[in-house]
Amino acid sequence: MVALARKTLIYEWRRFLPAMLAVGFAGLLQLLQLALVLGIFGSTSLYITGSSADVWIGYPGTQSVGQGRSIDGDVESRILMDPAVKRVEPYIWVDGDWRGTKETGGVSVFVSGIDTSAEGLMFSRALPLDLRERLNEPDSVVVDRSDLDQLGVDIGGTATINGRQVRVVGIGSGLRALGGVNVLCSLETARHLDSDAEDIGPTYLVAKLYDPTQAKAVAMRLRGDSAFGPYTTWSADHFAHISVRYWMFDTGAGAGVLFLAGIVFLVGAVITSQTLIAAVNGSVREYATLNALGVGVGALRRVVLEQAFWVGALGLLGASVLGVALLLLARGQNVPVVLNLPAALGCIVLVMGLAAVSGLAAMRSLRAADPATLLR
Amino acid sequence: MNPAIQAPAAAPHKLPTVALQAENVSKAFVSGKQRTQVLDGLSLHINAAELTLISGPSGCGKSTLLAVLSGLQKLDGGRVLALGSELGQLDMRALEHFRLQHTGFVFQGFNLFPALNAFEQVELPLNHMGMSRDEARQRARASLEEVGLSHRMKLRPSELSGGEKQRVAIARALAKEPELLFADEPTSALDAANGQMIIDILHRIARTHGTTVLCVSHDPRLVVHADRVLAMEDGRILSDQRNQAPVSASKGTP
Repeated sequence: MVALARKTLIYEWRRFLPAMLAVGFAGLLQLLQLALVLGIFGSTSLYITGSSADVWIGYPGTQSVGQGRSIDGDVESRILMDPAVKRVEPYIWVDGDWRGTKETGGVSVFVSGIDTSAEGLMFSRALPLDLRERLNEPDSVVVDRSDLDQLGVDIGGTATINGRQVRVVGIGSGLRALGGVNVLCSLETARHLDSDAEDIGPTYLVAKLYDPTQAKAVAMRLRGDSAFGPYTTWSADHFAHISVRYWMFDTGAGAGVLFLAGIVFLVGAVITSQTLIAAVNGSVREYATLNALGVGVGALRRVVLEQAFWVGALGLLGASVLGVALLLLARGQNVPVVLNLPAALGCIVLVMGLAAVSGLAAMRSLRAADPATLLR
Repeated sequence: MNPAIQAPAAAPHKLPTVALQAENVSKAFVSGKQRTQVLDGLSLHINAAELTLISGPSGCGKSTLLAVLSGLQKLDGGRVLALGSELGQLDMRALEHFRLQHTGFVFQGFNLFPALNAFEQVELPLNHMGMSRDEARQRARASLEEVGLSHRMKLRPSELSGGEKQRVAIARALAKEPELLFADEPTSALDAANGQMIIDILHRIARTHGTTVLCVSHDPRLVVHADRVLAMEDGRILSDQRNQAPVSASKGTP
C-alpha cells in the first residue's frame, strides 16, 4: 500500500506546518489554562489536600473551608468513640486583619491554628517538621514565601493580627491562598487572635482513620447526632470537592476564569480547523481524481484522518516540550500551576478530536464540489 | 437498440459495439436564482474500442457531458447506459465500484500527488482494487513502460516535464485495465510535440487494448487523430463525423 498520508506530510511539510503550529499552540493554551485553573482553585482546598485528615467535622451547610463556623469542642469525644477513628484534633480558622510595620495598609489574612505536634494532621504535607516545632513559641506564625512582599515582613519580623502582635518565625512554600493570605500558627496562638466572643470551640475537627479507604462510610456514620450541638461530617475528598466547586461556580472569579477557558478553547478550535482544512484542501483535486478512478470516499477519509492524526500528534509534541518549560518557569515564579495526568490526557483527547473533526470537515468540500469544476 | 449492450462485458473482445449510450440527457446548474441549462435533451452513443473526440468551444457543456457519461455526476433527466449498466440506478457506493472496475480518467491538470514518484502514482489506485501487492507493482511497471517512462519511474512530478506528467496520468488510468477511458482536455496544457505524443498514446490504447476512449477537447490538433468527431455547442451535438473506418471495428463486432 502506498503510504500517501505520510509521504504527503513529509514532502509537503510546509503546507502542514501552519496547522501543526495551530494545533500545538491551541493545545499549549488549553494545557496552561487548565494548569492555572487547577492551580488557582486547587489552592482553595489546600487546607484539605495539604493535610492528612480523612474525615472533616464542621458546621452544617459550610460552603468552603474558609466559611466555617465554630462547633462545640465536646464533639471530639463523640468522634473518638467511633472505633474506626485513630486520632482527632481541632483546627481553628480565624479571619484576621494584618498590620505590618511597613506601609502595607491592612491585609486580609486567613489564620490557621493547627496542632503543632509531629503527628499533627493539619498541613502535614505542606509544613515541614522544623517549622511546626517553631510554632510552639507563643504568638509565632509561618507565612508563604510569595506573600512576604504583600505582608511587608521578613523572617524574624513582627506585625499585628487583629491588634495582637505576632512574629514570623518561618517561611513555607505552597501555602498560597486565593483571595487572601494564609498565616499558620499554633492552636493556642489562634485562640488569642480570635476576637469573636461567639467562637466557643474549634472551627473544625479533623480525624485520622485506621483505614483511610473507609472515610466515606465513617463520615456518613458520624453524621446526624445533635447531642453536642449542630455539626456535620465530610470525607476529606468530598470537602475538598465542595470547596473547589464553591470557588469555581459560585464566585465571580471562578466564572471569569471558566469563561476565559471557554474562549481559549473556541479560538483554538477555529484556528486549528481553519488551518487544517486549508492544508487538506490543497490536495482536493488529487483526492477528487482518485475518487473518479473509483477509490471510495471512505478510503480517502482514512488518508485525511491519518494526516490529521500526525498533524495533531506532532503539534502536541511541540506543545508538550514548550508546556513543560513554561510550567517550570511558572513554578519558579510562585505562580500556582498544577497539572495531573487525567487533565493532560483530557487536553490531548480534546485537541486530537478537534484535529479529526477538522479533517472530516475538509472532506465535505470534496463531496460538495462539482466534479466538472474540480477535475480539470 | 443493440441487444449486446444489455450485458456488461468482462474482456475487450466481448465488448458490445456500443459502450456508452446517452438518451435524452439533461443537466442544469443552479446558482442563486440563475439556472443554466448545460445539457438539453442530448442523445448519443459511443462505440467500443474507438477514440471518440467531442470538440467544441469552452462552456459548451462537453466536460459536464463527460462527467455524466462516466458516472461522476448525477443527471436531471434522461438516462445513461455504460457497459450495459444504467448509471442513474446506482447509488454512490455502487458508482464508485463501477468506476473502480471499469473506468480510467485523464485530466488537463494531470492531478498527480506531488509527494509520490511516478511508480507510486500508478500503484496507488491499484491498491484499492483488491489485487496483491506483487500484481499491482507488476501492472504499474508494465503500464509505465507502455507510455515510455520505464526510465523515469522513480521521479516525482516536480522532476517531470508536462508531457511526462500526462503520460504518468495515462499510465495510472491504463494500469487499471479499464474498458472506458475518459480524457478531459488531455493536451490543452501541452506543447505541440507533447500533445501529439499524448493523442498517439490514447489512440494506440483504443486500438491495442480495445478500450473505449472518450476525449473532450477544444484543441483542433486532435481532430485528425480521432476515429470519430462529435461537434458540440450549447449543450447539443451539432455534427457527427467519421475520419476513417474505425480501426478496431473488427474487434468490436460480435
